[in-house]
Amino acid sequence: MGTNFQSTQDYVASRELMDSVNVAMALEKPLLIKGEPGTGKTMLAKAVANSLSMDLIIWNIKSTTKAQEGLYTYDTIQRLYDGQFGEEGVDDIAKYIKLGKLGEAFDRQEQVVLLIDEIDKADLEFPNDLLWELDQMEFYIPETKRTVKAKQRPIVIITSNAEKELPDAFLRRCIFHYIDFPKAELMEEIVGTHFPNIEANLLKNAMEVFYWIRGIKDVRKKPSTSELIDWLNALQMNGIPAETLKKELPFLGVVIKKDEDLETVRHYV
Amino acid sequence: MFKDFFYVCKAKGLDISLSEWLTLMDAVDKGLCESSLTRFYYVARMILVKNETEYDKFDMAFEEHFKGIQSENDISEKMKRWLDKEEMNDLLHEEDKFWMNKQQEMENIDKEETRKQFEKRLEDQDSEHNGGTKWIGTLGKTSFGNTGGNVGGIRVGGYTGYQSAFQVVGERKYRDFRDDRVLDNRQFQQALRKLRQFSTKLDVPRTELDLDGTIDKTCNNGGYLQIVMEKPRKNAVKLLLLMDSGGTMIPYTVLLNELFQSVHKSNHFKDVKTYFFHNCIYSKLYNTPECENGDWIDTEWMFRNLDSDYKVIIVGDAAMAPEELYSDQGNYRGPNGGLSGMDWLRLVKRHYKKIVWMNPKMAPGKAPWREAETAIKELFPMYKLTVGGLNLAMDKLMSR
Repeated sequence: MGTNFQSTQDYVASRELMDSVNVAMALEKPLLIKGEPGTGKTMLAKAVANSLSMDLIIWNIKSTTKAQEGLYTYDTIQRLYDGQFGEEGVDDIAKYIKLGKLGEAFDRQEQVVLLIDEIDKADLEFPNDLLWELDQMEFYIPETKRTVKAKQRPIVIITSNAEKELPDAFLRRCIFHYIDFPKAELMEEIVGTHFPNIEANLLKNAMEVFYWIRGIKDVRKKPSTSELIDWLNALQMNGIPAETLKKELPFLGVVIKKDEDLETVRHYV
Repeated sequence: MFKDFFYVCKAKGLDISLSEWLTLMDAVDKGLCESSLTRFYYVARMILVKNETEYDKFDMAFEEHFKGIQSENDISEKMKRWLDKEEMNDLLHEEDKFWMNKQQEMENIDKEETRKQFEKRLEDQDSEHNGGTKWIGTLGKTSFGNTGGNVGGIRVGGYTGYQSAFQVVGERKYRDFRDDRVLDNRQFQQALRKLRQFSTKLDVPRTELDLDGTIDKTCNNGGYLQIVMEKPRKNAVKLLLLMDSGGTMIPYTVLLNELFQSVHKSNHFKDVKTYFFHNCIYSKLYNTPECENGDWIDTEWMFRNLDSDYKVIIVGDAAMAPEELYSDQGNYRGPNGGLSGMDWLRLVKRHYKKIVWMNPKMAPGKAPWREAETAIKELFPMYKLTVGGLNLAMDKLMSR
């Protein structure tokens, strides 16, 4: 493996996560990433692309997304217009075929990173509809009798929030990694990439409060990395001294979004 | 290579396919594991396990198979017993622990030094310690043991309070993810999402414009519009929920409430109907969980009005007395309608094509001493009311 993925300046990955990216690349399989919100699933693909100096193609999945849209769309409406006005080339269907994100990734001359973001948002059958395409890295357009085949196998990274179960057949073809919530050590590194000059005492106290809140069983929605970063930002901007932090818990609303959780935390303080 | 490990994984309940196994062998051939057992652990896990709820099973299989090879510290069972003390958690109030650590500088801890000391204590220690400053125990201030006030030491067993012990020996880290636990609302909803059956064969008129068809026909028609219509695609699944209420079900009220909420929050069904019964289904079904006489429908009415396409989920502990099930006078709260409970259950089975029974306290395997449960198991497929059980049940309801 000549080109390996490593942590970048703005993205700190655990050893396990870096390994899973490299194993997926070596085995030419899609990498499926699952984890709590705010553990940096989407950021990963950007970091991989950066680290390997490749282009990143993002396919954002919504509840209405169909697998077909990732391959190609046939702009029938345009053809209808053109047909009505006797435009030239209406009989050339290829003119009305547009490649989707997956098709675009296949069609590129150079290797790219393809992020299929939040695959679990789509219909239950969605992943199954892409099995052949992700396996063989090719698909067929019946309208033009053209086969689109990957010139360079893209590195496919798929994220899931576990809203829906993914089908077995699909899972069997993936390399799977579950991103644990970062431990304090790793979290310090992550925070460091956002605030290189943060005051050590403030960071230490804030992190202790943060992990303490996460440790309270009754807190329904546990704060995630992005909440910690927002909080640190607010604390710094307002010049809150590190000493008062634990006593007063300023800007707690930035960390905790639910009213009942706020009460729970106040109760424990 | 590692063929036995494959079977150990299977025996622990991991559903591993041959293709996944071959992928792992491929990875080993390509040298991705670098001849290291730790690397092999991670590579095998990312290829073979596709759900964090199964990490624990994998850990157990790995431990069982590679136990002999692993040379790291073994924590003796005796020591684990000294340390496995939940009551210590209550003694040491969260708050105290928080402030106890106030002064501590995490960077000051020398991990190597701690580890060496830990190994030495492991060899020397011969009794239980709670609240000391030297030995491995609970409530103490040393860097070993659990429920103590030290950050960044080696934790032995117990529960993660602070997530800061830099090495956790013998902990089954992913135990909380196991899906044979009783489920919560969100997981219920996820399981219920399985009940989808998109159909264009519904008995409805062709109301939607088939855009692609219309355009193709029109283009082929020299630009003269020619409309094509199609039937809408909708979820055709109808759900009938019958829930046991009161009596022996009271301990499960919270759980049943969660299930009830989930069913009604799931808006993807064509129709949902819920009725309640007490202990067993007889000639009346109640509209509310209070099961008040009068506020009911005839079970016969349900048969007439809810057709056999409804998928039926019956929830109950199936813990009736034999006469409640077999006697035609067995209903002590309401009318029997001339039939025994068992007869009514048979009628339900005859009328509906797809029925599952969810039981919050099902006995594992055959349990001949629970007569009613055994009899009902023969009538309906019965599953325990857990994530795993509900998923199996949904598969059963969707199977052809």
